[in-house]
Amino acid sequence: MSFLRYLRKINTQLQLPTRLERQFSNAGTKSAILQYEKDPQPQFTDTETQRLLQSMTQMQLDKVFRKRTVPDNDNEIKFMTTEQLENEFVKMIEKAKHQLQMPPVVKVKQDTERIISKDPALKDFQNTKFVFTDITYGLRQSDRKVVVRDVDGTLSYAPLETQKRMNQLYFPLKGRTFHTPRMFSEQEYLQRCLDDHKYEFVLDRLTVQYEPYELDFHQISAQVFQHLNESKEFDQLRSTRHFGPMAFFYAWHHCIDDLLYDMIRRDYLQNAVELIALSYKLHNVPVEFRKTISELDALQPTPEKRALNQLLSSLKSKEEHEGIQQEIQTAIGKAESDFAADEISLKFIEAYIASEHALKKVQLELAVQTLKEINLEKLQLYHGLKKAHGMHAS
Amino acid sequence: MLPITRGIYNALSLIARSPQNRYALHTASALQCKAVAAEAEAETAAEDVEQDAAAEQKLDANDRTKVIPVETSMRYLKSAAYKQTYGDDFVWVQYRRNHKGMFAPRKTRKTCIRQGKISTGNPCPICRDEYLVLDHRNTDLIKQFISPQSGQVLSYSKTGLCQKSHFKLLVAVERARDYGLLTYDVPFREYDYSEYYGKTEETAPKKP
Repeated sequence: MSFLRYLRKINTQLQLPTRLERQFSNAGTKSAILQYEKDPQPQFTDTETQRLLQSMTQMQLDKVFRKRTVPDNDNEIKFMTTEQLENEFVKMIEKAKHQLQMPPVVKVKQDTERIISKDPALKDFQNTKFVFTDITYGLRQSDRKVVVRDVDGTLSYAPLETQKRMNQLYFPLKGRTFHTPRMFSEQEYLQRCLDDHKYEFVLDRLTVQYEPYELDFHQISAQVFQHLNESKEFDQLRSTRHFGPMAFFYAWHHCIDDLLYDMIRRDYLQNAVELIALSYKLHNVPVEFRKTISELDALQPTPEKRALNQLLSSLKSKEEHEGIQQEIQTAIGKAESDFAADEISLKFIEAYIASEHALKKVQLELAVQTLKEINLEKLQLYHGLKKAHGMHAS
Repeated sequence: MLPITRGIYNALSLIARSPQNRYALHTASALQCKAVAAEAEAETAAEDVEQDAAAEQKLDANDRTKVIPVETSMRYLKSAAYKQTYGDDFVWVQYRRNHKGMFAPRKTRKTCIRQGKISTGNPCPICRDEYLVLDHRNTDLIKQFISPQSGQVLSYSKTGLCQKSHFKLLVAVERARDYGLLTYDVPFREYDYSEYYGKTEETAPKKP
């Protein structure tokens, strides 16, 4: 192990005022910003929660693989056999899953002072601090040792802020800057970004600039989610990596109703059920939701499967009979299993609206009512078309 | 005696040079002319005024000492005058560099404006229009210089900006990104979950 010594002058006089300033600015906005009052991590990493969140996020490949304006976005054109293409599709889905990796939701890490040794003999050896960083190749950021020799001869582990800066110095993370972008440090610019509905941009930049356990990360993301809850532009985050943490945030803080309304309005009923189930799960509400979820899962494919089917459907050669059935389904947008799933989920959602957990009952009821009417019309049309084509009304 | 007489002379000359006096003289001559031909004089006077204004404008066309505020520039970019000048094109699209021979020099000129004046016959797209101000708030203008494919700032070999304007553009873009006024595609950050979930991993079941 090469334990290299590097000297860094730390201008304590310059740093102290900025830190204080930040603390003050936090204190000013704290009253309005919701925070996780206890460690959310065990709940978040739970397998069932993750499955619910992933299902809610959906996988719209057009959105995941949208054309990015990055320096190296070139296309490659290849000739492939059908088999190769199918393999490629599977790889694509894997890649999309990777793109949708959710940022961790963990509690705020407190900075603790850990002193290694006190050597008064070294007092006033220099009038600046020394920072020593272990720059061994291949270490994880959290495992990297950074220690500080103070002016008074105390050797201690570096505070988180110094640690982060040293990591950035020797192993830069692409897109992260040393100074905080003014977008995050000054409230008015952040507010302007939010008012322009640049949610995805703000959250993307947040993940790059901050570590998930930092206080600023929590506060800014909470602010974004709260603003989003007011502007109701949830669709912007759908099928991005931030949708899961957002839904989790709402479920944790008892404010899922707006998101639920949006889901019902857009006819994502299964997602609505999952959202309700998530909030029941987080708050230990004694309602049996697992049965409904498993029923729905049996009826409808997972987002990955759905995306894969969509890709594969472009390859299939249509048979006569199936072709018509397929055509009817695409024309209406729903298959028989979808109607069955809708019925189950509507029952569950109505039970939720009737319970004391729902806050915006009238709005939700109206949305459900409209959806029911539309669904009924679609079902009638579906059966009518089937009859017209001489298929058995099963 | 001499100082007193000199003082009186100075005072008199001041009075004689004062604009009011000149105006009086001018009006006197005008009155004289009026006696000859009132209508013709009026026409020539109007022409005089026009010529003066034109001369001043001609002086002003190359003058770049006046600082145009960014707000004005931002309004200009949305105005009908802008639309009429550039149409739907970006400001640099119609610009052509002047150069000897087949190939343009690799670098554009250092600056178009020297000593507060345009010092060239073919100033760059930014310098030729004084109402185009490069600033981080002027996002409508900055966006014209960013490639829709790669998200990078377009080269001066494409846009023809002089080196000074190009540098200003780079600064403005960087600042606009810092303020969050200009969105771009942030590099994807991959999370190593074990780094964050750490030791609680054993107790709580990990993500599949």
